[in-house]
Amino acid sequence: MKKPIWILAVLALGALALAQPKVFKVPNAAENPVFGGDFRDWTTSDPKTFNPFVAKETSSTDVIQLMLPTLTDYDPYTGAPEGLLAKSWEVKNNGLTIVFHLREGAKWSDGQPITADDVVFSAKVHSDPDVGSNSIKSFELDGSPIVWTKIDDYTVQADFPKPYAPALIQGWYIVPKHVFEKAYESGKVAEMWDVGTDPAAVVSGGPFMLDQYVQGERVVLKKNPNFWGVDEKGNQLPYLDRYVFTVVADRNAAMAKFLAGELDLYAASDADQVSQIIERIDDGKLDASIFPNADVTTGTNFIFFNWNSDDPWKAQLFRNKKFRQAMAHLMDKDSMIELALGGLGQPQWSPISIPVKQFFTDDVAKFEYDPAKAAELLAEIGFRSKNAQGVLTDAAGRPLEFRLSTNQGNNVREKIAQIFAEDANKIGVNVKYAPIAFNELVRQILNTRDFDAILIGLTGGREPAFGRNVWELDGPLHMWNYGPDFESFEILIDKLMKQGATTLEQSKRREIYVRFQQVVAENLPLAYTVAPAYNPARLNNVGGLFSKDQINSLEGQYPYNYPVTVFKKK
Amino acid sequence: MTAYILRRFLHLIPTFLGATFLAFLVIQLAPGDFITRLELDPSYDRSQIENFRRLFGLDQPFTVQYAKWLSGFLKGYLGLSLSYQTDVWSVLKPRILNSMVLVVASVLFIYVVSIPIGIYSALRQYSWGDRFWTTFAFFGLAVPNFFFALLMLYFALWLKDIVGHEVFPIGGMRSLYIDGADFFEAPKWKQWLNILWHAVLPVIVAGTAGTAGLMRVMRTQMLETKMQDYVRTARAKGLAERVVIYKHILRNAVIPIVASIGFLLPELFGGAGFVEIVMAWPGLTPLILDAIFSIDVYIIMGSISISVVLLMIGNLLSDLLLAWVDPRIRYR
Repeated sequence: MKKPIWILAVLALGALALAQPKVFKVPNAAENPVFGGDFRDWTTSDPKTFNPFVAKETSSTDVIQLMLPTLTDYDPYTGAPEGLLAKSWEVKNNGLTIVFHLREGAKWSDGQPITADDVVFSAKVHSDPDVGSNSIKSFELDGSPIVWTKIDDYTVQADFPKPYAPALIQGWYIVPKHVFEKAYESGKVAEMWDVGTDPAAVVSGGPFMLDQYVQGERVVLKKNPNFWGVDEKGNQLPYLDRYVFTVVADRNAAMAKFLAGELDLYAASDADQVSQIIERIDDGKLDASIFPNADVTTGTNFIFFNWNSDDPWKAQLFRNKKFRQAMAHLMDKDSMIELALGGLGQPQWSPISIPVKQFFTDDVAKFEYDPAKAAELLAEIGFRSKNAQGVLTDAAGRPLEFRLSTNQGNNVREKIAQIFAEDANKIGVNVKYAPIAFNELVRQILNTRDFDAILIGLTGGREPAFGRNVWELDGPLHMWNYGPDFESFEILIDKLMKQGATTLEQSKRREIYVRFQQVVAENLPLAYTVAPAYNPARLNNVGGLFSKDQINSLEGQYPYNYPVTVFKKK
Repeated sequence: MTAYILRRFLHLIPTFLGATFLAFLVIQLAPGDFITRLELDPSYDRSQIENFRRLFGLDQPFTVQYAKWLSGFLKGYLGLSLSYQTDVWSVLKPRILNSMVLVVASVLFIYVVSIPIGIYSALRQYSWGDRFWTTFAFFGLAVPNFFFALLMLYFALWLKDIVGHEVFPIGGMRSLYIDGADFFEAPKWKQWLNILWHAVLPVIVAGTAGTAGLMRVMRTQMLETKMQDYVRTARAKGLAERVVIYKHILRNAVIPIVASIGFLLPELFGGAGFVEIVMAWPGLTPLILDAIFSIDVYIIMGSISISVVLLMIGNLLSDLLLAWVDPRIRYR
């Protein structure tokens, strides 16, 4: 007789333990989820570590993010900040202080509670310069520290040196203090959770936990029964039993695996791959769907000029707005999309990526492909006659020529550069194009400054404030001009970036960044070219994915960055 | 003989120092380092980038870095991988073992296939069979490895469509499941069978060029030996043709091939090449390529130094083997 009461007590405790689960919204509420099954994904290179303080690249963080929680992230449906481990927050003190309330009852996979101690400890380790965490950037604002303190077991407070708009996005990984503390105190935190660690020793606070790791081959994660998330019907998440990453270094080989039905998701890289997948679906050999050109990726490709050139003539020329506008008129973006991107992609005119809907605007100056207009603009700045080689010259007879480089091995950029150089040469602008190694390119940009023009891209994201190192006057990536002479529009951009980062109200922020995009598009410090398409494909027996109009390249094919809503249909 | 071997071992020391120093120098001469990638990420400040360099010891002069690496090497420590943050040997070891499956299998494949064909071609010179294998050899030597691997992948996919089930796997080294359960829960012999099944196509790709080459070498050797005076003498003595071919011609023709076996040693630890990348074989090549792209100095150096040591030992072994099979050669 005693037993049922004891069980009831445990059940009640269990219910209490999950008193504040996070409700994850599924993309399509009409679908009936199926529990169990393996989700088969792929990666081009295997994780280098499971330690978030060591991870330096996405191959590692792609796995870590399935296991270690963050306080907040973007809502996958609206783009607004959303609580993950933090269930709510209060902004105080004009935005200088934010108090985060944690989910009570959330547990690590080893049964220990996830508390404020874990959060504050993780912040301490991430911000320690002797640890070398990549997330250190989240703990400094213009050189001043962001201070994290514990209020009580389930409340933490962050104090900012000044109001900071992206403050609600706290995307650094929280580790279990009871596992890491000893190692940190003895200065050995970097040795934790390397690839040789027993998978069972890697404690998870996310939807999945490590099951197997076979170096260079695969990572298998299994469902974490202690995960603090449920769906809208109250079902414990995730639905899947296992999440399997297969390491396939070669894109074509990965596609062959998808065509054989051995991968559940794939994103086709170009029109050729898209047509191969469509052909196989049409032949009835693959039960799958593909959405070509569903969105564009956040990667950017732009050309910029060296305003600090040792040659004063060139420095003067590159500083001239009309020159840059003429160059923009020479970018045949339709041909670039056709030839460099295989027909799938979109022209880009301004710095904020098209998928970042909250800030992106199409209402900017567009210097469309128009060689005649370009020639006209060049004539206005003095290039009126041509020499014997057919190159435009200025009044002093100096021919209009410059070097253009991009990073070798990037086929898309190499083709874009060639198309631009050819069109420019046609009207008498002698562009000498030569690709060079990426690291050499970086050295030229940051150290030697002996280039004329470079076609390159920067890691894009959804938060424009994170671009401050590019746009602020003293930013280390203010690549076209390291001063000391700045044009007035550069000073305006600097001001807009600073305002954008410190304005908390969303609608005002949008206004600021719209203005920012307009100023950049008009003055072209960076002249944007084209953005590659995002062409996701999936097997039809995978459920819980975004529908065609929900798909965006920022989130991928499913919400929340981890397949917590994904399931395999029977 | 012992003195000779000892002397050779002493020669290894300067060769090793020279080779590794040169390798280290070349890696340093290439622009950029492990941190360069982060420099174009707008979210990092300059001071953070400099701090990373300091933590990884990349701010020190390269002679200091080399000296540190060398003193570690002498103690049997290959260094700390920059990207894995764990010692290089534990990163290299599983990859070398995986590669070895392919390398051993493809070496066996090369020898088993090419020596008989070489003998056949030499004995029936300019016959249709000889011409067929000559054409095959040209094809085998000319087709790029990575392209051939890709063709094989599509061949496997095509075969699957036709037959309706997987005849050969589409890349990889192990299946996810054996008989419906996880790979690692299956009995060991089934696991090995599964790995060998995955190895069939990569071994064909990795072995084709080698087979084609060795086949031609074997043919030439046989043809050359056939013309020797002692072969004529053997025939004049009235020996059976079978005895002439196998005891007199083949034994002498095969000497340089036996001597080259020593060179296989570094190959065993050197990965099977691009086929590993295209066919998703978790061997050494993808790891090294990754390390070169990210300039993970110590992974590259670890692999190079192992290769250098083995190459030198392999060289020595080859010379000793040659003395053993060829009584005309003596070392002092």
